[in-house]
Amino acid sequence: MTTSFEERDPRTPAETAVAEPGAEDVALNAGSADRTARSGEHSWRHVAHDLGTRSAIVWIWIALIIAYSLLEPSSFFRVGTFQTIFSSQQALVFLTLGLLCTMCVGEYVDLSIASVLGLSATMIPVLVVNDHWNVAIASVVAVAAAGLAGAFNGYLVVYLGVDVIIVTLGSGTFILGLTLWMSHLGEVVGLSSSFASIDLKSILGLPISFYYGLVLILLFAYVLECTPLGRRMRFVGANREVARLSGIRVKRIRFGAFVMGGVFCGLGGLLASAGIGGFDPNSSQTYLLPAFATVSLGTAVIQPGRFNPIGTFVAIYFLATGILGLELLGAAGWVSDVFYGGSLVVAVTVATVLRRRLLLSH
Amino acid sequence: MSFSRLREQSKRDVPVPANATPRLHASGIGKTFSATRALIDSELKVVPGELHGLVGQNGSGKSTLMKILSGYHAPDPGGRLEMDGSEIRLPLRVTDIGRHGIAVVHQSLGLIPQFSVLENIRIGRLGAGRFTRRIRWSREREQARAVFERLGQSVNLDQPVRELSAEARATVGIARALQDYEPGRGVLLLDEATRALTRRSLRHFYELLGGVTAEGASVVLVSHRLEEVLEVCDRITVLRDGQVAAGGVPASELDEPSLVRLMLGYTQPAHVRRTRAPTSGGDCVAEVEGLRGAAVEEFNVAIKRGEIVGVTGLAGGGFEDIPYLIGGATPAQSGTIKIGARSIDLSDRRRSSIEHLMSAGIVLVPEKREEEGLVLELSVLDNMTLPRMGEHGSPWYTGRGWQQAEVEEMIRRLGIKPERPGALVSTLSGGNQQKVLLGKWLAGSPQFVLLHEPTQAVDVAARRDIIEALRHESDRGCGILISATDVGDLALICDRVLIVRDGRVTQELTGELDQDQIVEATFQAAPAGAAHT
Repeated sequence: MTTSFEERDPRTPAETAVAEPGAEDVALNAGSADRTARSGEHSWRHVAHDLGTRSAIVWIWIALIIAYSLLEPSSFFRVGTFQTIFSSQQALVFLTLGLLCTMCVGEYVDLSIASVLGLSATMIPVLVVNDHWNVAIASVVAVAAAGLAGAFNGYLVVYLGVDVIIVTLGSGTFILGLTLWMSHLGEVVGLSSSFASIDLKSILGLPISFYYGLVLILLFAYVLECTPLGRRMRFVGANREVARLSGIRVKRIRFGAFVMGGVFCGLGGLLASAGIGGFDPNSSQTYLLPAFATVSLGTAVIQPGRFNPIGTFVAIYFLATGILGLELLGAAGWVSDVFYGGSLVVAVTVATVLRRRLLLSH
Repeated sequence: MSFSRLREQSKRDVPVPANATPRLHASGIGKTFSATRALIDSELKVVPGELHGLVGQNGSGKSTLMKILSGYHAPDPGGRLEMDGSEIRLPLRVTDIGRHGIAVVHQSLGLIPQFSVLENIRIGRLGAGRFTRRIRWSREREQARAVFERLGQSVNLDQPVRELSAEARATVGIARALQDYEPGRGVLLLDEATRALTRRSLRHFYELLGGVTAEGASVVLVSHRLEEVLEVCDRITVLRDGQVAAGGVPASELDEPSLVRLMLGYTQPAHVRRTRAPTSGGDCVAEVEGLRGAAVEEFNVAIKRGEIVGVTGLAGGGFEDIPYLIGGATPAQSGTIKIGARSIDLSDRRRSSIEHLMSAGIVLVPEKREEEGLVLELSVLDNMTLPRMGEHGSPWYTGRGWQQAEVEEMIRRLGIKPERPGALVSTLSGGNQQKVLLGKWLAGSPQFVLLHEPTQAVDVAARRDIIEALRHESDRGCGILISATDVGDLALICDRVLIVRDGRVTQELTGELDQDQIVEATFQAAPAGAAHT
C-alpha cells in the first residue's frame, strides 16, 4: 500500500541509519505490516438494491392481489375479503410479538409459544365458566400464568444455560398437557358476549383487536429503534460478547425477553378466547408454524436481515392474503400448510443469504 | 549456562547437505484471512535428517504455516508442496498428512487428560477384532510399548495423562505423532511443543529428537526460546510479517542478536517518539494491586495522569489477560483497582462488573474486533454510542442529538472513512473498523483506558490515527495501559513497558525505549526463566 514497505525489507542496518522522507510512516508501522485490503465505498446501486429488497414483499403482495382479482373478480376483490384478511389474524399477531421478543435477543427457537397462548386461552373459560371466577380476574391470572411460563423458560435457558430448543420443546409439551388436563381434553366455551366485545367491537369495519395489534407492533418497533432498551436488545441479539463488554446486563435482558414473550402470548390467548367465547386447547399448536414463518418472512421486509415488527406485521397479512386467495380459487385446507411451511423455508434461506451478503459485500 | 551439551547430543557431526533433495519443500504459500494476509509467498525447505528451526515474532505467520502443513488451514491458491521430490496436492487434509509422512505435535499436545497414556496414544488407530469388533487391548498395548521403546522412554501406559509431568506429557504427544513413522523418512513438526518443558527435561527431549534425526527423519521446531533454537537446530528459517525474512540459514552463522534483528526487520530508530514532560511527579490516575487470575500470577501497576504503560511478553505468558482482568471482562481471583477516590475489588463479581467499572471511568478496548468489539451488521452510530445509552436521554428515548454529535466528533478526530454515521460497520475497512472500536470507548472521556492489540492488522494511516488519538487522550490526563505484541508501537508511544513472563512482571523498561530493547527483554527472559525450574 505504501512504498515504505517495500523499502523496508532488504536493507542493511547501515542503510537504515540514513534518515529519509516518509520515515515517520515507517516508524509508525514498525513491527507489523499493513495487511488490510478493503475499501468502504457505498454507491447508489446499493441504496437502490436496499430499497428493492426492503419492499419486495409489498410488491409481491400487490402482485398477488392483482392476480387473484383477475382470476376471481367476483369473489376476491371485495371489501369483505379484506375485512376477513385483516380481522382473522389477531392471535397470530400477538404470538409473533411474543416470538419477536426472544428472537430479537438471539434466542431463535422458542417452541413453547403456541402452548403458552393455549394456556392462557384455556385458563380463562375454565376459570370463568367452570369455576365461576370474575372474568377480569381470570384474565389477569391467565396472562400472569403465561408470563410465569416465559419466566420459567427464561430461568432455565438464561441462568442455567440449558439449550433453548430442548427447554421450550419440553415446557411447551408440558404446558399443552396441563392445558388439556384443565379442559378435560376438549373445548371449553361459554364466555359472555360482552367479553367478546373487547376483541370484536367494530371500528371502521375492522375489529378493535386489529388495532391492538397494530398499536403494539408500532410500540414494539419504537422501543427497538428509539429507546436504549431496544438498542441493547439489538446488540444482545447480534453478539452477546460485544454487548457484555459494552456493559450491558445481557442475562437480565434475555430473561426479560422471555417474560415479555410469555406475556404477549398470554394476551394473544386472551383475545383468542374472547373472540370465540372459549377455546379448544387442541388447536393451539396450529399457531406455532405460522408464527415462525411470519417472523422469518418479516426479516426480509423494511430492514432486511433484521427481525423487525413492522416487517412481521406485513408478512402476517401477506401470507393471509395468499392463503385466502388460494382457498377462494378452490384450494382445500392443505394450502395453508404448504404456504406457511414453504414460506418459512424460503424466508429463512433468503434471510441467511441476505445477511451473508450484507457482511461479505463491499 | 549454555545448551552446548544439548547440541553435541542432537546435532550430527556431518553438516546436513543443503543441496540434497529436500524432505519437505513448501513454496509460494500464502494465506489470507478475510482482510488480513497472514502469510505471503512463503517458502520452507527442510532437508532429510535435519533439525530445522522456524522462528518469528507473534503474528509473523509461523503458526499459520504450521497449520497449513498439518491440514488445518487451506492455503491460498498457488502454493506448492513437495515431499522427497514428489508433489503433494494442496490443501492437505488432516486425515491424510500421516500418509504423506508428516507428523505434528501442537502446542497444546492434544491429549485428553482423563484418559490413560495407552488410550491417548492409540486413539484414532484402534483396531477392532475380526468377528467381535472389540478393541484388542493387548495388541494396542504392544504397539504403544514399541513406540516408547523406540524412543528410549519408559512411561506407565495405564496412568491417566493428567497425572503426568509436563515432560512426560510432551513425550506422550511426540510418541503419538511418531508411532506411524518409518525410520529414515517423514518430517515431524513441533509447534511450540517444548514450551512446558523444564531445562533439565529439555536435554532428554533433544536426545530423543537427536535419535529421530539420526535415523534420517527431519524435524521442524517452532519455538520462542531463541537460545535453544540456536543451540539445537541445524538450520533456521525466520518469518516476519508473513514473509520469509531468512530461509534456511545455518545456525552456526547466527547468534542471538542477529536472529532478533532478522525477526524484527531493519526498522527506523523510533525518532517520532514524542518527547514529553516527565510524568513521574504526577498523581496516580489508577492503581492496580495484587491482580491474579487467568494466566496472571501477580500484577501491580500505578498509572500516573497522562501516562501510557505498555505490557508485553511471550504469547501465553499472561500479558494478554491483563486488560481483561482489570476491565472486568475476565473474572479475577484477587486484586483491587483504585481509581480516583474509589477502590474496587476485582474479585467481587458484582462490584467489578463491566458496567460498574465503566461508571468509574475504566474502559476496555478488546482485541477481537469482530467477536468482542463491534457488531458488523449495525451502523457506526449504533455501535459507537452503545456504552453511553444509560447516561444520556431518557429510558423512553435515546435522543439523536448527542449521538450524532459524539459520532461526528469521533469521525473527525480519528479520521474515519466514510464519514457517514449511518454506514454499516461491515462496509468499513479493517483500519476504519478499528477506529470505530476505539471511538466507541474514547467518546466517553474515560479516566483509564485498557487496550489489547489496538493496532493489529491495520494499515499505516490508520495506525497513525490510532496512535494520535491515544496521545490526545493521554494529553487530556487519561491513564492508558496497552497490552500488545507489537513492540514497534509500544516503543513509540509508551512511557514505560513492563515485560510479563509466566504471569509476573520480570522487567520494567523506561526512558527512551526502542523496539530492539523490548524484543530482547521479551525473548532473553526465556532461558533465564527456564533455568529457575
